[in-house]
Amino acid sequence: MIGQTFSRPLIGGALIMALGLGTGCASHWIDLAEQKDAPTPLQTSVPSDLRVPLLIETIQTTQNGVALATPIAVEHQILGAFEATKLFSQHFQSGYAQPATNQPHVTIRLTMNNSVEPHAGGAAWSGFIIGASMFLLAPIVTLDYDYGTQMALEVERWDGQTKQYQASSSGTAHYHLFAASQHLIDELKGQVTETCLTQILDQVIRDTPFYIAGEIAPSETTIRTVSVGSKRSKTPAHPVSTSLEPATR
Amino acid sequence: MPFLARVLTTWALCALMTATGVQAAEVSPKITIGTQEVGLTAGYLLPHRLTTDHTTKQQGPAIMPSWMMTITDPVGDSWYRGQVSVGAEMVYIQFQEPFLTHGVGFTPKIKYSFVALDRIRPYAEFAGGPFWTDLAGKIPEESSRFNFVLTAGFGISYFLTDQTAFNVGYRFHHISNAGTHYPNLGLNASLPFGGFSFFF
Repeated sequence: MIGQTFSRPLIGGALIMALGLGTGCASHWIDLAEQKDAPTPLQTSVPSDLRVPLLIETIQTTQNGVALATPIAVEHQILGAFEATKLFSQHFQSGYAQPATNQPHVTIRLTMNNSVEPHAGGAAWSGFIIGASMFLLAPIVTLDYDYGTQMALEVERWDGQTKQYQASSSGTAHYHLFAASQHLIDELKGQVTETCLTQILDQVIRDTPFYIAGEIAPSETTIRTVSVGSKRSKTPAHPVSTSLEPATR
Repeated sequence: MPFLARVLTTWALCALMTATGVQAAEVSPKITIGTQEVGLTAGYLLPHRLTTDHTTKQQGPAIMPSWMMTITDPVGDSWYRGQVSVGAEMVYIQFQEPFLTHGVGFTPKIKYSFVALDRIRPYAEFAGGPFWTDLAGKIPEESSRFNFVLTAGFGISYFLTDQTAFNVGYRFHHISNAGTHYPNLGLNASLPFGGFSFFF
């Protein structure tokens, strides 16, 4: 009887501990910094015959001020984001297939300044405390990893006109000891990069008339229709009529 | 002891044989946050009698399986550039002197690895935790079987492959019961060691 009286709390405690170790220790979450005045994500609809090819000429990356080679996965992410805008007819990357020399195209140069703050000192102290507690504090003590990126995009049109765009995004990964993994850090970097790309491409989409091929032919001063609308809007996008002027302005 | 020595020698040779096909220039370990390390280390405990009251010459082989997880990316940009790992280690000591006795412990562990030299990585480590031994009661220094062990030391990891490292080093080893029983003079020893780690 006494054994049963003691064994119930013991079993209960063991179950709670197992539950904690099984769930709490391996949990993680990511906080992305809210952007004030963040534009609503946009989508565009440009007739395919008005689209021109896009050439990604350079993607320069720095991390905490040190120049780095841009990871292939990030290059693909950027290329995919531009493809998703449906603003351009083809997408080329410098070093691979190129648009024909006489073919009007838009050239972009992207600079990414990334900042990483792994909170190494805090992580070391947290690790020490977790170890000193015989890992009992592992489900409670959280470790942090900050990542931010600033993007500067320079876009050059076929006639030499350029536009500049800028955006920034940041986030923090919070995780418990047993959830620490490179996948978590990659997930944070991917989300921050995606958010920043979305912001900068929204600015590009707002300038849709700047990129359409109707600008090429001075004789084609007809009314063209370009749809720009919010992705989140439940109502259909409102058509905006734009009178295209010759590119020789 | 001969059996233990044979097992460790066989394991060490197997680990070396798996690494022979790799060119030296190819080895560049990529250890990031979340990289885990399992290791097996063996050494021999050599006594230090720090006062005239210490008379026991406890010595014998020790074997230490361990697990660690890297919790920081490399920090710093000079010779001290390195990473922090935390984990835990089991320690088994077969005291052959003054009596054939045993000790078993569990120690959480923290390690700082210097990464500036890439495949050769010096490290400093600290560990401490509970330790049980039946040597106590048979010697004048310790009276209880339940003790604590504290170790601090340094070593060098030489990466044979991107994921396998050979380790050698030295630890200062202290056993006492934190004043829970008297006498509690404590046992101090040097523990030179060698072993292997696998990273994943």
